[in-house]
Amino acid sequence: MLFLELFLQGLVQGSIYALIAIGLTLVYGLLRVLHVAHAGLFTLGGYLGVLVTNASGSLALAMLVAIAVVGSLGMAIYRLCYQPLLEKPPFVALIASIGLFIAMEELYRLIFGPYGMSYVQPPLQDVIVFAGLSLKLAELTTMAIALAAVVGLALLAGRTRLGLAWRASVTVPQMAASFGIDIVRIRYLNFFIASGLAAVAGVMVALLNNLVEPTMGSVPSYKALAIIVLGGLGNVRGTLLAALALGVIESYGTIYLGQLLDRDAIAFAFLIAVLMVRPQGLFGKR
Amino acid sequence: MLGLDAYHLSLITAVGISVGVALSLNLITGFCGQISLGHAAFYGTGAYCAALLTKAGVPFALGLASGALLAAVLGVVVGLASLRVRHDFLAITTMGVGFLFIGVVRQQDVLGGELGVSAIPDPGLGKAGFALLCVGFAAAVSAFSVYVKRSWMGFVFDAVASDEDTARVLGIDVPRYKLAAFALGTALAGLGGGLYAHNVKFIAPDSFGFVESITILAMVVIGGIGSVGGVVLAAVVLSLLPQWFQFIDDYKLLLYGGLLFAVMRFSPGGLAGATRAVLARMRGA
Amino acid sequence: MNGQLLKLESVTVTFGGVVALSEVTFSLESSELLGLIGPNGAGKTTALRSITGVVTPQHGTVTVAGHDLSGLSIQARARLGLGFSQQLVRPFFNLSLLDNVALAAGHAITRSPRRALFARDRSRQRAQALELLERVGIADAAASAPAELPLGYLKRLEVARALALSPRLLLLDEPLAGLNQQEARRLADTLRELNGDGLSMLLIEHNLSEVMRICARLVVLDNGRKIAEGVPGEVMSRADVRRAYLGESYAQA
Repeated sequence: MLFLELFLQGLVQGSIYALIAIGLTLVYGLLRVLHVAHAGLFTLGGYLGVLVTNASGSLALAMLVAIAVVGSLGMAIYRLCYQPLLEKPPFVALIASIGLFIAMEELYRLIFGPYGMSYVQPPLQDVIVFAGLSLKLAELTTMAIALAAVVGLALLAGRTRLGLAWRASVTVPQMAASFGIDIVRIRYLNFFIASGLAAVAGVMVALLNNLVEPTMGSVPSYKALAIIVLGGLGNVRGTLLAALALGVIESYGTIYLGQLLDRDAIAFAFLIAVLMVRPQGLFGKR
Repeated sequence: MLGLDAYHLSLITAVGISVGVALSLNLITGFCGQISLGHAAFYGTGAYCAALLTKAGVPFALGLASGALLAAVLGVVVGLASLRVRHDFLAITTMGVGFLFIGVVRQQDVLGGELGVSAIPDPGLGKAGFALLCVGFAAAVSAFSVYVKRSWMGFVFDAVASDEDTARVLGIDVPRYKLAAFALGTALAGLGGGLYAHNVKFIAPDSFGFVESITILAMVVIGGIGSVGGVVLAAVVLSLLPQWFQFIDDYKLLLYGGLLFAVMRFSPGGLAGATRAVLARMRGA
Repeated sequence: MNGQLLKLESVTVTFGGVVALSEVTFSLESSELLGLIGPNGAGKTTALRSITGVVTPQHGTVTVAGHDLSGLSIQARARLGLGFSQQLVRPFFNLSLLDNVALAAGHAITRSPRRALFARDRSRQRAQALELLERVGIADAAASAPAELPLGYLKRLEVARALALSPRLLLLDEPLAGLNQQEARRLADTLRELNGDGLSMLLIEHNLSEVMRICARLVVLDNGRKIAEGVPGEVMSRADVRRAYLGESYAQA
């Protein structure tokens, strides 16, 4: 039973990773930028979730506010930070993004205080027991949201004109532009969706731990980078699989590898091992 | 030394170590063009190795040398990774090495685990002597950097940083040069780590995490990637500011983060690049 | 076998199912200036890349002076004596024209990192580089940065840099493209002089009049196959070559 419990916990964690990493891989696919500051948006999502829920009593409202605010901020980051740097060597945008992320974390510390915040009355705390396995409603919701996000994105990309334009902008940017696709609008949309997903992940993590703190984005952000590399940069399906796999591996690893490595290092041990064998990632194409 | 009090001597010591370590990263990232987001791991390797050895009774100099050597061995292993992956992948791989380093150190009781290593023996040089040693370290690494830049190795590094594939066409064994850059840079970082450990007498995993890696990178980037003078200046200023102005220490990371962002956004060549641009404009006018 | 410097034997290259080169066999004698021609997409550049090591043939062998090149890295091939002037110019943008060539001229030093670390003096290599820049006619721009120069200069820089490796075989991928008629003629003369001094060359070029003027022998590729080989006058008078290479209208003329 422990085996299955661990698997389920791994999937919950993996869903969180997926929500963060999919946004990151979307940005990479479109701009070839490693958007480290993405995790700063994730943290902001967590704060907004707690603040709005505590003020209004509605988690759903908090979620909407978080998506709107964080999504807009994501678009602003694209406009102010990445767009002017696209022609520069890739490390320039990467380092700018790291700088932005560190500055964001510090701002949260200064604005919201160093000790973190909690939900006064955390919602979705009921425990569901099924076939001997127990799961908190919040955990179930997390998985459901991740699933909905992935399915929604797949439908958007595969079934709509917008999705077609978006895919064209990723694979053949010059041609897309010559077909009259408004690449800049696609990029804004891309940042809105990616940042919105990060905000949702932030709200859910805040709920699962019942805590938000300034540095809550650090570990997931670096891990999400590892995940999108494992998934083959820019590959959404690969990223989803890598995220879930990492969640599950960590879940077991903490029990069986705990003496050797701490939980947060497992992702990178896995990453480095994979990169040495397949430099293009687990699911990447050459 | 020069009648300086203990406070100023400790400032000089810290600055000397920072300058040396920032230049060690500059060898890898600035000269050879291989981005590293995990340099603190090598700095930490040197610190842990030297500290544990001198605690076990090994002479200070031998401890330092062993730390440098071990860091270089690890550096070559990571350098091997740089042969497999480039650019963004390398950035993430080196970042991973940093996390792996503290992840492993935290779990090892031999290495002091979460609590770190304390009561590291005093090298017995006196405060002034130790400060002088660290200044000497900074001066030696600066001189070495200038030398490398002007040598044929620096010449090749310029080519590798600019266009690896074309360097290969010219018969240059790019992998061996990258490994050389990693070996030299990480050995010097290890040496700096040994000095750091014997300066503060207490080390813990968190002293060598991602934030430290980024702090070192900030010095290189803000100074101007590849510019020895610029990096020295940035390392001096960035390590002094928080010490001089206590209020800056509280906002140190905000300052570093903001500066990293601002420099990349407005002057990717750093202070050195900005200076060159201004000089060129003045000459043109 | 004697005198054969370069030999391609049944070299076949496919890219994802598309055959770029099919069973191509030809050789280059020592001290020869061999022209490799054919219409766009004939496989010339692919053939050259299978020599430099950028692409790996699915089967067939490439040998240089009896050394089988398969499995050798690009840099190892360069050190076997292959000098390569690329079609798309790739200067080191952070080095002056002179230093671009001087770096190549220092190949004996750059061969080993240890030697490179202990060597500082660049004056001999720079003098040699300046000579080569003069030889290809761009010495006036020696101190300039590549970004400031027109394509014609950079094409000639490619040639000078390849020459600086003192290669035993110079591989030239469209060195004359982008030059005006006068510049092209001058560079072609320089190539002929170099060949006269005993340097072996394989030349890919679209400027047919210059190719006919300086090459003693041609190999013609079309659709990844070798369709003809021989003295320029004879080769170019063959009907199949005219059709493949020059197009229908020319063949009838």
